[in-house]
Amino acid sequence: MGLIELAAAKALASSAVFLFITLLMMASAKRISTCIVLFSIQSAIMAAEILAMAYAGKSVGAYIVAALVIAVKVVAIPYALFRIMKDLKASQDVASSTTGAQSVFMMAGLILLSFFAVAPYAKTLRLDEDLLAAAVALLLAGAFLMVSRKKALMQVIGLLVLENGIFVAALTTTYGMPLVIEIGIFFDLLMGVFLMGLFVFRIRDTFEHLDVSKLRRLRG
Amino acid sequence: MNLAIDVIQALLLVAIAPLVSGVIARAKARMQNRRGASLWRPYADLLKLFRKQDLVPDTACGLFRLTPAILFAVTVTAAAFVPVLHPSAIFGMSGDFILLVYLLAIGRFFLMLGAMDGGSSFGGIGASREALVSALAEAPLLLALISVAILSHAVSLSGMVLCTVQQYPFHLSAVYVFALGALVLVAIAETGRIPVDNPSTHLELTMIHEAMMLEYSGPSLALIEWASAIKLTLIMALLIGVFVPWGMATSASITALAIAPFVFVLKLTALAIAVAVIESSIAKLRMYLVPDFLGMASALAILAVAFTALMR
Repeated sequence: MGLIELAAAKALASSAVFLFITLLMMASAKRISTCIVLFSIQSAIMAAEILAMAYAGKSVGAYIVAALVIAVKVVAIPYALFRIMKDLKASQDVASSTTGAQSVFMMAGLILLSFFAVAPYAKTLRLDEDLLAAAVALLLAGAFLMVSRKKALMQVIGLLVLENGIFVAALTTTYGMPLVIEIGIFFDLLMGVFLMGLFVFRIRDTFEHLDVSKLRRLRG
Repeated sequence: MNLAIDVIQALLLVAIAPLVSGVIARAKARMQNRRGASLWRPYADLLKLFRKQDLVPDTACGLFRLTPAILFAVTVTAAAFVPVLHPSAIFGMSGDFILLVYLLAIGRFFLMLGAMDGGSSFGGIGASREALVSALAEAPLLLALISVAILSHAVSLSGMVLCTVQQYPFHLSAVYVFALGALVLVAIAETGRIPVDNPSTHLELTMIHEAMMLEYSGPSLALIEWASAIKLTLIMALLIGVFVPWGMATSASITALAIAPFVFVLKLTALAIAVAVIESSIAKLRMYLVPDFLGMASALAILAVAFTALMR
């Protein structure tokens, strides 16, 4: 077996572990900038995964998807988030409602839960159990980050992590969606981040803080 | 032959321990744009202290005098359990990793007693803080080692090391990754480095380990300093042995045995520089955040044990 085949096989087999590590580090992170960097790393791991699959499946479309992931999720979105953060001039604190240890415990619990959740399906559908569990763990972790962090920017990052989960799930179950749909999703996501950035600015300008836990009286 | 290497590797750990402290101090100084003291300064310090008079507080009983000797003896014994140059050790036996953890705990226990016996209020503060940190660090340390033991189907440290050394470096298991994460966090707390404790200050509000040895002087202080240097080195050697043992002499050939010390020293230096980088880039945690820090280690250790069942 050549070196590239070996690297591709290893990237596929161990990508789930690396995704779990980024999730645990996100749970323990105290600064928003750390979370943005971790999201970028997480997307880079996904890109490596797609590249490995593209190499194994010899499909040209997958290479384009990998390039899109790198362009949009590894570079563009983190850059946009950093710009938003710089312009907001807000504090770096994620304002978590749980302590660091509680968050890490919770995240570990979610990871274990996702393994138990996918175990029956992975067996019957003969899918890669670790990657499917990673997808579910990303979904749960994104939701958890959105619920437990009070800063508006962290809700955006939580949503992006959740979206990564959907992407990994699509990747493991159907080896990725058709190219046109994939491009559409990336465009949507980019626009979504810009829109949410605008909303964050509006929240800051109207209420002079970014703490979403204080927005309880905001009812239509 | 094997016994000779076992003895040599234990003596190596004891002998190069001050040098490791010197390397860390030098690397930290370089990172802060200072020239830093010589690498050999810890040896000179020990020599100087051994020549000085041993002062004992009036309030202290015999325990105060006995503590440094017990601490040193226990730490050197613990060093004899760690495989360094080849996957075997003098006292290698089944369950030795549990004994290693509790040998270090005995040393810490006596250091705490000695600190309280010294009669100064700082000794008491340091002892109570050390009790808190060590109580919280014990569970993740044991759990992480147990998870590696389960994965490698070994009951001794040498078995674990042998299991890792026979794998390819890139065949990483999730268990190893989580156990390594937990052990690194615990090692920082156990050896009293930043962000849990700062080894280079004597600031009464923050010090833990330094507060306990405040009343000691002369040869007693030298023994305690040496023992804590050995403890740092042996925990680093443990991390190297369990997680990156490649380069160890697995056969009894001369070349393998000749290469092993160089590879070990290289890895130890890399780890020492990593410690210096961490210490220069992270601020010390408030005392009340230390349980939180060790809670993360516990979560990782529990995840490591759970993954031994999930990922085979």
